Amino acid sequence: MNTPKLRVICASVLCAIFVVGLFAGTVSPYPYAKQFRERPNAAPSSTHLLGTDSLGRDLFARLIYGTRVSLLLAPAAALLATLLAGIFGGLAGLVGGWCEKFILAATDLSMALPLLFVLLALRALLPLDISPVLSVIATFALLGLLGWPSSLRVVWAATKNLRNCDFLLLARATGCGRWRMIVRHLLPNLRPVLFAQFWISIPVFVLTEATLSMLGLGVIEPLPSWGNLLRGLEDISAVTANPWRLTPLVLLALVVICFQLILPAQEETA
Amino acid sequence: MLAAVCLLGGLLSASLVRFSPGYGVDERELDPRFSQASLEAIRKSHRLNAGLFSYYARYLAGAVHGDLGSSEWLQRPISSLIKERFPVTAKSVLLGVLLAWFVALAVSLAGVFFRGPYFDISTTLISGVLIALPAAVVAIFSVYLRAPVFVAIAVVTFPKLFRYLRNLLNHAYSQPYILAARARGISRAKILFHHVLPLASPALFALLGVSLAVAFGAAIPIEALCDSPGVGQLAWQAALNRDLPLIMNLTLLVTLITVAANMLANIAHEGAL
Repeated sequence: MNTPKLRVICASVLCAIFVVGLFAGTVSPYPYAKQFRERPNAAPSSTHLLGTDSLGRDLFARLIYGTRVSLLLAPAAALLATLLAGIFGGLAGLVGGWCEKFILAATDLSMALPLLFVLLALRALLPLDISPVLSVIATFALLGLLGWPSSLRVVWAATKNLRNCDFLLLARATGCGRWRMIVRHLLPNLRPVLFAQFWISIPVFVLTEATLSMLGLGVIEPLPSWGNLLRGLEDISAVTANPWRLTPLVLLALVVICFQLILPAQEETA
Repeated sequence: MLAAVCLLGGLLSASLVRFSPGYGVDERELDPRFSQASLEAIRKSHRLNAGLFSYYARYLAGAVHGDLGSSEWLQRPISSLIKERFPVTAKSVLLGVLLAWFVALAVSLAGVFFRGPYFDISTTLISGVLIALPAAVVAIFSVYLRAPVFVAIAVVTFPKLFRYLRNLLNHAYSQPYILAARARGISRAKILFHHVLPLASPALFALLGVSLAVAFGAAIPIEALCDSPGVGQLAWQAALNRDLPLIMNLTLLVTLITVAANMLANIAHEGAL
């Protein structure tokens, strides 16, 4: 299969999942926390498309609401991370000198830190028993605030290349102001780089959220997220009894693979 | 560099511990069994740590003597906890990284050697699926299959490594002088080991440190879910119990190891040239 076709397919799959997540309230048959106490661990049926979990909550409803949480907030966190990377990477590339050295040293240091250890440490700083909505915000804010280092290096390298370009020299020679130069000449040229970094960050954050929530340090129940739903996999007897419990995993893997296939290969290595 | 990381990381973690919500509050103050005098002693020990810099200075002075403070949750010295737990993690992370490197190198070299669409597509597919699995899910599957911890770490590290390795080797293989070497009839194996690998080696050495950081990160969910008593599990439990001194020290330890590994890789690379 050729790549443009594959990309269109991936994009439409992602769009479909995104739309379903966005309109979770109308698509889902039940609220995500509603318990059917008389039928816990039910098998899939016409009333419960994917069955119910051990507390009798409809898995299909939880999956749709979980999609909303994961797929809306991962891009938000990616936006924050890309913004930070863009500001500081651009600053380092443009200003140079000690500012550049300082920012790059900080980046190298953060890249040496294993992300998960730092996330755990910062999460431990916050109180554990916060409301579910706050836990979502805290999780993705932490992801956004910590996920910038690798993007920063790319933005820095791109800015540094651009700075020595002839067209910027020409613009400076014609008396173009500093802000006009940044907004009109630099940013449009950086856009593909920033966009690629934003796009790369999303699956990383989706996966990290899943791991954090599975460890009980991410999104807190009863609010569903993909990571939360994957906790159901720990119970092997329930999974063998109802293989449809693997759907969140399949959906998560599908989304991450789609995100990867959309990205052109050369941007992956950039 | 290593010393700078130590000092800076230490200061950062000290300030985080010092300014975290609830610092200096001790549950023992609520315990009626303690006499007034012992309560006063507890409060005094907290007051000694009140200022950030005095706290940091005391921490540093202790660290020089091998005393990293004590865990609030387990009420044990952190250094003895690390001594107990670290070998487990070191062993599984080292074995895991070695296995991941071995498989990734073998597969990507084979990919360059037998250039063909089927091999390329199948390896891309497998690594693509593996990279889309969260580390915690890999851990759960390894529990199902009763696989050792280091295999799970290798499974998490391998796809990330493989993607970079394959791109690197393919890039090196597409250089004009490789074409020239092939035109002169030099054998494939010789091209691979004499012309492609040396060109890619700086990036390979750089990857070494990165893969170690990835493996340590993967160790947290894997050890937590596979119940392997290592540093990763300890960090997870410390986070669940809000034991900040412990988790800060663990983060610092892992950072030092990855920075040291990066530096060693640099030195080894410069020595090899």
